[in-house]
Amino acid sequence: MVSWTLNIKYDENNRYHRFLRTVVITVISLTIFIMVWWMISVIADIPAIPTPLKTWNALVDLYLHGDMVTSISLGQYIFSSLSSFLKGVLLAFVISVPLGLVLGYSKFMRDFSNPVIELLRPIAPIAWAPIFVLALGSSLGAIMVVFIGVFFPLLTNVIFGVRKIDPNWIDAAKTLGASQMKIFYKVMIPAATPYIMNGVKVGLGIGWMCIVAAELYRFDGALPGIGFYLAQQAQNFNWPSAYAGLVVIGILGLLTIGVADYIHRILSKRMGMDV
Amino acid sequence: MTEERSEEYTRTGPSISCTDTHICVNNLTKIFKKDKSETVVLKDFSLDIRKGELITIVGPSGCGKTTILRLIAGLIEPTSGAVLINGKPCTAPGADRGMVFQDFALFPWRSVRKNVEFGLEIAGIPKEERRERAERYIIRAGLEKFIDSRVHELSGGMKQRVGIARALVGHPDVILMDEPFGSLDAQTRNIMQTQLLKILDKTDQTIVFITHSVDEAVFLSDRIVVLTKRPASIKEIIDIPWPRPRDRADPGFTALRKKILAELEEENVMEN
Repeated sequence: MVSWTLNIKYDENNRYHRFLRTVVITVISLTIFIMVWWMISVIADIPAIPTPLKTWNALVDLYLHGDMVTSISLGQYIFSSLSSFLKGVLLAFVISVPLGLVLGYSKFMRDFSNPVIELLRPIAPIAWAPIFVLALGSSLGAIMVVFIGVFFPLLTNVIFGVRKIDPNWIDAAKTLGASQMKIFYKVMIPAATPYIMNGVKVGLGIGWMCIVAAELYRFDGALPGIGFYLAQQAQNFNWPSAYAGLVVIGILGLLTIGVADYIHRILSKRMGMDV
Repeated sequence: MTEERSEEYTRTGPSISCTDTHICVNNLTKIFKKDKSETVVLKDFSLDIRKGELITIVGPSGCGKTTILRLIAGLIEPTSGAVLINGKPCTAPGADRGMVFQDFALFPWRSVRKNVEFGLEIAGIPKEERRERAERYIIRAGLEKFIDSRVHELSGGMKQRVGIARALVGHPDVILMDEPFGSLDAQTRNIMQTQLLKILDKTDQTIVFITHSVDEAVFLSDRIVVLTKRPASIKEIIDIPWPRPRDRADPGFTALRKKILAELEEENVMEN
């Protein structure tokens, strides 16, 4: 019997080991995923499930030549999607954060707005997509759908963050002479920041799902996004290209959430708080 | 205020002349209400605190020590009665009364330096003066090596030294300390008591110190106020004229500690 052991022992405290471990696990995980996909497509043997290779070729084609029908490049599709997405996120941020701070702070305002919020929150943001897009046009409509998607998780997190503030911090600030206004700026906002970032992180994930859904309903002349490309290819039964669209959406979503996660982690660490 | 001036600084009961004292706690009653239940924490509680003294308040747990301190700080309002500071009623918290909290209440998003500077920032003191003053107090608290550290990197004892520096840096007339060493281990606690006396050495502030450690009270105080169980009233006020630093092994020290412990024991027995 031949037995051999690797001379390197995994060390949890070595950052290169941890990094290497992550890389190896990720590669194995993705390889298994692609193999399973391949098997399913071969066994099912229907055009609606193309093999990973066909999808890859369609993706390379999209990257090199753009959309043959509309002559829009992959870069333009991505730019359009990201632009609507970021505008929607920004809009949600500037409204949710101040509103959340107020609702977290004032019990009256919280009780007052709770029925409305609880009524609207369970509505899937995607359900707003046809209404917004048809009423406001594909560009503004998409922004609004993202806005709705990001708004509620962000608001909930900001309110939670304000309510989690240690009352001792407020007392300490008071005994150091701080006015209500100064307490708001110098205690409540910094104390709630990690929670706000957590809300942004959650919101981005949902917002990204919303943007693609909204783009499926494109009816006017604005520059369409990647979701439009996906829908159009699927309608033409051009399955590998539709799947290529899915891959692009997945990768962009991963990057967006990755960036938010990174910012959230840095901020929590800098602020000495674990959220 | 009545015209008659008291020879003694401290008395219990109503109608105290407050002119000789720094803080006059006058007939305070505090009732906490929740739904239909009422908790009378203080009933007609009066106490005079002299200028520049270090007075500790000890009492059975839950007797209302912290409530007294929070009333003096102006963080809560009395149901009736008043707190007079230099003869003027105080109703709101202010920078003239610094406070040190049991669980430190430091701002985790600020460095040690920025925590100490907080009150000075609020007071609108220019950046350079702020830095210079904060540094002086951080050095006095022996934290110069940690001046740019984050609060969560410090030990409990160091955190509380930041808390003390933060309270002292704005030169408040009164320092209110709410069981400041209560969450520290016994050894750190003893070290902190000595360090506190060193830090306070050059100040003439009035210090009101809440503790449940009799040993700590005897070690630090000019006067000890022993409270009864809730609603708190004054069981005894003990003057300690001994010089500092004090020797815990001294027969007088241990005798006094025994006496106070026995008094507190009485209160606890009565409760059970």
